[in-house]
Amino acid sequence: MFRHLLRTIATSKVVSTNGKLLSLGNYRSIVPLSTTRPHLQEDKIKVTFVMPDGRSLEADGKVGDTLLDVVVNNDLDIDGYGACEGTVTCSTCHVVLKQEDYDKLPDDACDEERDMLDLAYGLTDTSRLGCQITLTKDLDGLVVKVPAGTYDARS
Amino acid sequence: MRHRVSVVKWPIRLNVKHFNTSSADKPDGSEIGLPRTQCPIQNHRARSTHAVSTVFEAINPSVRSWEEVPGPKPLPLLGNTWRFIPYIGGYSVEHVDKVCMSLRQQYGKCVKIAGLLGRPDMLFVFDAGEVERVFRSEDAAPHRPPMPSLNYYKHTLRKDFFGAEKDCAGVIAVHGDSWAAFRTKVSRVALSTGAAAQYTEQVADVADSFIQRIREIRDENSETPDDFLNEIHKWSLESLGLIALDTRLGCFSSSEGSDSQRLIDAVHTFFLCVGELELRTPWWRIYPTAMFRRYVAALDTILSVTLKHVERALESSEKVSNKSLLQDLVTAAGSRVAAVAALDMFLVGIDTTSNAVASTLYQLSSRPEVQESLYEEISSVVQGRQLRAGDINQMPYLKACVKEVLRLYPVVIGNGRQLTKDTVICGYKIPQGTQVIFQHYVMGNSDEYFADAQEFRPERWLQKSSYKHPFASLPFGFGRRMCLGRRFAELEMHVMISKIILNYKMEYHHKPLDYHIHPMYTPDGPLRIKFIER
Ligand code: HEM
Ligand code: FES
Repeated sequence: MFRHLLRTIATSKVVSTNGKLLSLGNYRSIVPLSTTRPHLQEDKIKVTFVMPDGRSLEADGKVGDTLLDVVVNNDLDIDGYGACEGTVTCSTCHVVLKQEDYDKLPDDACDEERDMLDLAYGLTDTSRLGCQITLTKDLDGLVVKVPAGTYDARS
Repeated sequence: MRHRVSVVKWPIRLNVKHFNTSSADKPDGSEIGLPRTQCPIQNHRARSTHAVSTVFEAINPSVRSWEEVPGPKPLPLLGNTWRFIPYIGGYSVEHVDKVCMSLRQQYGKCVKIAGLLGRPDMLFVFDAGEVERVFRSEDAAPHRPPMPSLNYYKHTLRKDFFGAEKDCAGVIAVHGDSWAAFRTKVSRVALSTGAAAQYTEQVADVADSFIQRIREIRDENSETPDDFLNEIHKWSLESLGLIALDTRLGCFSSSEGSDSQRLIDAVHTFFLCVGELELRTPWWRIYPTAMFRRYVAALDTILSVTLKHVERALESSEKVSNKSLLQDLVTAAGSRVAAVAALDMFLVGIDTTSNAVASTLYQLSSRPEVQESLYEEISSVVQGRQLRAGDINQMPYLKACVKEVLRLYPVVIGNGRQLTKDTVICGYKIPQGTQVIFQHYVMGNSDEYFADAQEFRPERWLQKSSYKHPFASLPFGFGRRMCLGRRFAELEMHVMISKIILNYKMEYHHKPLDYHIHPMYTPDGPLRIKFIER
């Protein structure tokens, strides 16, 4: 249900009442909007998510997408990923990067992200929130680790 | 063409006629005689735990049963509600903080409060690891313990308004898919990391008015008057009006009977009543008690004033083109969503923020050395010019001070979830429907989680991992249902405190104040702070 909800948002364009496409670009972390920039569609960026059980999930994203966009748009099977839809309140989109990739990211984590990272399970020095990592050209081939995380309270 | 609120025609009946009807037609009235009622949320099964626990124990034999959870024993027929009756009960609503502290000492890390009339059983959790586990296993639509009285208001009394459109009842006292759909529309606009920063200059403007206001109301000793907290409420309302309604309400020049003062009073009444209505015997379910009538009148006031302003904001926004929360909400989700979102924000966004600021000012006023460190940090960032977006992010010590105040004195002392499935907590099987309350006040004040917990030491937030468990202090909650106004609340507080520090030194020369729940956790007594010009 939830996945479906995310997808509906991700694919529906925000159109204002006078028919123009709105750009809410100042909200860096809004999930869906990045997918509506047509001129960037050519630049495919390959991303690999390495799961706690060793499985690798590969997917393509575009420049300007966040890692959360990639997971949602490709319907990747990562349980509970992105529960707060990129509003930086949940830390379920936590990923661990290789040091050189971590250094390559264009933006440092902002304060809101750092507060939330403190609450991430299995925090490392090269941890980031996937909903706050925006893909650039030189991140093509990025490999990130998805740490084991969501406990099941019943087990 | 823009949607205009007035076109939609929402009937709000301001005089509450329904109340004169007999108790028989009150749907909830029948619950009153049953000390252990079923969870009021639909689709929750009744709590017959037998079958489930057999299966469960087969899987994990070490898990103990719900019946074994320690806690004050409910009396036959009376349950535990009587404990909150004044003079007799020993548990005072005003001092739930102390009640919780002693429950922790007496019974351990999880305590059962069963047999509260008309509401589900509660479990108080004092263990940060368990808080983390419960939060992490949340599903897509976590339930917060409902407020039956607000529930009744939104879904019965005023259902013509809140039920008129699909998924348009807001986030407070709303659950399940309807909550999720509404929250998604609003949180993308309200919580994304850049959402609040765009208001920095306007919020700073309001703070400047407050700085000026302090000059006007100080007495000859440069001390603030006894009702200083009410002045802070005005600041809080003015700031929120800006954010939620694109409007300068003009609270500082407001007088008795003005819309702004009515709104402030109504929000305060709402909060004072809600604690009483929820924790004491819920007579209001049988007949409209005086308190319940005041409560409904307050909610009606908030609703009508909010609607009036949304309408006005929408009319004037046809002329101006700069972006704002309200405009984004209207474009993305329609004017009704924007109005209901504003209502919810007014319900919980004023008292919280103002009491947090009051508490911070009080704490700082007796700590000149902290004020000096703050002054150094803030003045070196601002350098005599106007405050700009992004400045606050260069003030880590300021942010740490606010975190430290909210650790020791969280304005919301506990936050909770109503379990949507059976869950093991502290080794006990807790049935679905139980209200689990995370005791942030008690945990935040415990040496187990914070070294020298009683000491005010903002530095602890600056050294990574110098505190022991990140889930022990969560003043805004966590996860998909976290405080929707957190970014704004933080912006407002940070801007306000930085302005005060730049302009004044604060001192406090009266007897130390205890804290009480009124209805936020706040200093008990007049805030006579001495403001000395820098
Ligand atoms: C210092 C100030 C504040 C504190 C300490 C605070 C604290 C909280 C807490 C603990 C919750 C429950 C979160 C959870 O269940 O995980 C909450 C919910 C909420 N807060 Fe705040 N809050 C503050 C200010 C504000 C402001 C200024 C606004 C509005 C602009 C606001 C709007 C809300 C709303 C709408 C919810 C309900 C969210 C939902 O159920 O989806 N709060 N707040
Ligand atoms: S999706 Fe919740 S923090 Fe990134």
